[in-house]
Amino acid sequence: MGMVTRKLDQWQQAGLITPAQHTAIIAFESNHPQRANWWVYSFMILGAAIIGLGVISLIAANWVDIPDSVKLGADFALLALIAGGIYSQYPNQQHGIWFEVLLVSFMLLCLSSIGLISQIFHTGGEWYHALLFWAAITFLLSLFARNLFTRFLWVTLFLHGVLWSIVTTAGVDFNHSLDEFPAVLLLAPLLSALLYYASRQVKPLHGFSGSLFFWFQLSGVIALAFADIVRSGGDMDNYPLAWFIPAYVTAAVLAVSIVLQRDFKLLNKVLLLAALALLLLYYHPDLLFSGESRYNVSFWQADDTRAPLLTLAILFLYAVHAGNIGHQRTFNLVTFLIGLRFVILYFQAMGGLAATGIGLIVSGGLIMGIAWLWYKGRTNLQQWTKGLKA
Amino acid sequence: MNKRTWLIVALVLPLIALVGTAFLKGMQRASGTEVILPIEGFDPRDLLSGHYLTYRVDYGVAPACATPEVHADLCINPTRGIYPEGTRPSDCSLFIRGYCGSDTHFLVEDINRFYIPEEHAAALDTKVRNKQGAIVLSVDTDGNAVLKDLLIDGKPWKTAVETAN
Repeated sequence: MGMVTRKLDQWQQAGLITPAQHTAIIAFESNHPQRANWWVYSFMILGAAIIGLGVISLIAANWVDIPDSVKLGADFALLALIAGGIYSQYPNQQHGIWFEVLLVSFMLLCLSSIGLISQIFHTGGEWYHALLFWAAITFLLSLFARNLFTRFLWVTLFLHGVLWSIVTTAGVDFNHSLDEFPAVLLLAPLLSALLYYASRQVKPLHGFSGSLFFWFQLSGVIALAFADIVRSGGDMDNYPLAWFIPAYVTAAVLAVSIVLQRDFKLLNKVLLLAALALLLLYYHPDLLFSGESRYNVSFWQADDTRAPLLTLAILFLYAVHAGNIGHQRTFNLVTFLIGLRFVILYFQAMGGLAATGIGLIVSGGLIMGIAWLWYKGRTNLQQWTKGLKA
Repeated sequence: MNKRTWLIVALVLPLIALVGTAFLKGMQRASGTEVILPIEGFDPRDLLSGHYLTYRVDYGVAPACATPEVHADLCINPTRGIYPEGTRPSDCSLFIRGYCGSDTHFLVEDINRFYIPEEHAAALDTKVRNKQGAIVLSVDTDGNAVLKDLLIDGKPWKTAVETAN
């Protein structure tokens, strides 16, 4: 209210609103208080999460002193008690804060129950299979969540469970090293994007869209940065194609999904498909990259030339798409990343020369120039992308 | 169905799944035939589940698999031997399902990890490294094996730890 009142005072002084309008708005806001503040939700849910962790720690520390039947009985009784609490707190129209807190507690306790059963019966399953099982049994419940944190928690654990399960099913073995990590990095954004589009098509899943989009963007940036760093260093030349089969299958389904999007123009579909194709090309073992740097082969054949160009091309395609459909924050983020990549490109090209006096002056100027260009030009650039038609 | 009914389904489903899983695991552990196999191994950490021992099981067969990376059965009674899936002798009355790894070693999933309390981890790890350990399995008629206990010098590990203290 404080900020609203200050703004209204300023607008009234500037003559934008009348005193009567000022009073009417204040009265309206007073009669329509906001729902519980986000920080109250956050702290309550954080408390529930800490309690869940405490339960896991208690079981882990004392499990041998407690008989199996008592441990399981107490665990299931607690679950049933919280389930009863959730049911009693469920109103018809608006969910209360306790409903969300109990919901998160129940979901976390389900996860710790899987760990408890695993301990008692010495099952040797993998952590991602446990997450997948947890996500399957709590899926219906997650649809009742109204708080972003609850949905984000479910989406995050589900994505990790399904992602690592798919990759290991394809024969990738993470037991001895993380050499096969690129298989996960490529699949993550493709799978997140596919599930994001799926969630937009099915009404009950709309609540997951935001979390899936977040993971798509984050995993996409990480996948791109990883490929850029590794390719620029000429290291990614011994990766078997078989690791990427799940990613290729997902990419094919994603491509069909993009084509079928009704709210995309032909331009958006072409841009996204082109970005997808370039990302797959980036991770392909030897189609475009040979492991050679500029010192050994010609400029255009070198990995450390092709990698930044591919990064910039993918970011540019996605930025044009984001700008065209009016995703301003995404557009700003991606264009910022393009500017950042140009700065890094300068340092890569200059090498040790960038650390000299003149080099540092030019570097500082370049950073300031790109930042200024981005700040001043992004609005015009977005207007241009919005005007593109196909 | 109205939303309240769906909520009941959503709350009961995880409970049934968890109770059912625990019940089935318990039944499997209680109803099978006991088989004891010697082990040797090491002790990494599991952040989710406290400490556990991982080890290599000595299945008492040499040489191991004739063919790598195939499903196989370990026949225990009357004669111990490894047979590719579908070739087990008809008189084999007790067997464990598993597979042959890339190094032709016979492996059985889900019996290679035994959870132990943190305070006993180092002592048990040493004893298992010294080849004093064995695992007790419960094997059903379909060849599925689940872990029942860890033995140290032939005694349940809890007894062995209490005796050592």
